[in-house]
Amino acid sequence: MSTLSREESKKRVWRVCGILALVTIVEIAAALIHYNYMEDSPKTFLNILFIILSAGKAYYIMSEFMHLKYELKPMVISVLAPFLFLIWGVIAFLWEGKYWLSMKQFWDVLN
Amino acid sequence: MEAAVSTTNAKELWSGGDSPFKVSYGKIMMWYFLISDTFTFAGLLISYGAIRSSQPKHDETNPLSWPDPNHVFNAGPGFHHAPLVFVTFMTFTLILSSVTMVRAVQEGHYMNRAGVLKWMALTILGGLVFVLSQAWEWTHLIHEGMTPSSNPFGAYSFGALFFLITGFHGFHVSVGVLLNSWAFIQTYRGVFDRRGHYEMIEKLGLYWHFVDLVWVYVFLAFYLF
Repeated sequence: MSTLSREESKKRVWRVCGILALVTIVEIAAALIHYNYMEDSPKTFLNILFIILSAGKAYYIMSEFMHLKYELKPMVISVLAPFLFLIWGVIAFLWEGKYWLSMKQFWDVLN
Repeated sequence: MEAAVSTTNAKELWSGGDSPFKVSYGKIMMWYFLISDTFTFAGLLISYGAIRSSQPKHDETNPLSWPDPNHVFNAGPGFHHAPLVFVTFMTFTLILSSVTMVRAVQEGHYMNRAGVLKWMALTILGGLVFVLSQAWEWTHLIHEGMTPSSNPFGAYSFGALFFLITGFHGFHVSVGVLLNSWAFIQTYRGVFDRRGHYEMIEKLGLYWHFVDLVWVYVFLAFYLF
């Protein structure tokens, strides 16, 4: 359990709620601005922004709501370390998907 | 000498009867379950990424290209042509029900039964609203002709993956609502007061926040990208 007082921890929860709501609004606003005013421009920059903002939301949910920030360090490491595999997983399978697309285009089997 | 002392300490710490992580058995098992569940969801979302990147990018003229989420998700109960509005409502519902869950856990620490009941009731309500919203969205999309094997908006694998992944997430939310309702009844009956702690609420809290965490990534994959 954290050393925060009852009032402090209450206030902190509502602050994190505000941050999560704000980040969600920013994401939706960015998506809608892109859709309404600049649909023809590539979405690469926007997608990078979405990944960063989602990682921020995940950080706040895990550290504050799931209380991970207040656990002992070995506990935090044993929970987070397995997720390193996912970085490999995402890169490897997106790469594979792209290759798959180029094969389909090469053999002209898209339609 | 010093080395000998530290080995004894380490041995004592890991030889049973003590929790090296200072986390109770039940909570650590919930964490380990959630790690394994993360890999299940990650497997589904990574397949989504692989299949999506093997399809042509969104293109109005190609009916087999990947659909634009702004075209697919543009309706809610009683309104049309409003992209992403309904899913924003669903996301806020889930965030708010996560917040009320934390408040229930906090009141549990102070053995405040009335407080736990109040915040748990709001959490269950939030979960129910989310599941019902998802049911509405599914019904709407099925009426539009999107099923696991057909999709009027573009590549049919979009529909298949959408129903698989949001369905698996919705299943988790439904299980969470059932478990939270059970804990609400137990709290009402004073079981946790007699037990002397509200750890059950903490464990369910971990599960509920995990469901919220997964939604962040489902939302990212289907509605934002």
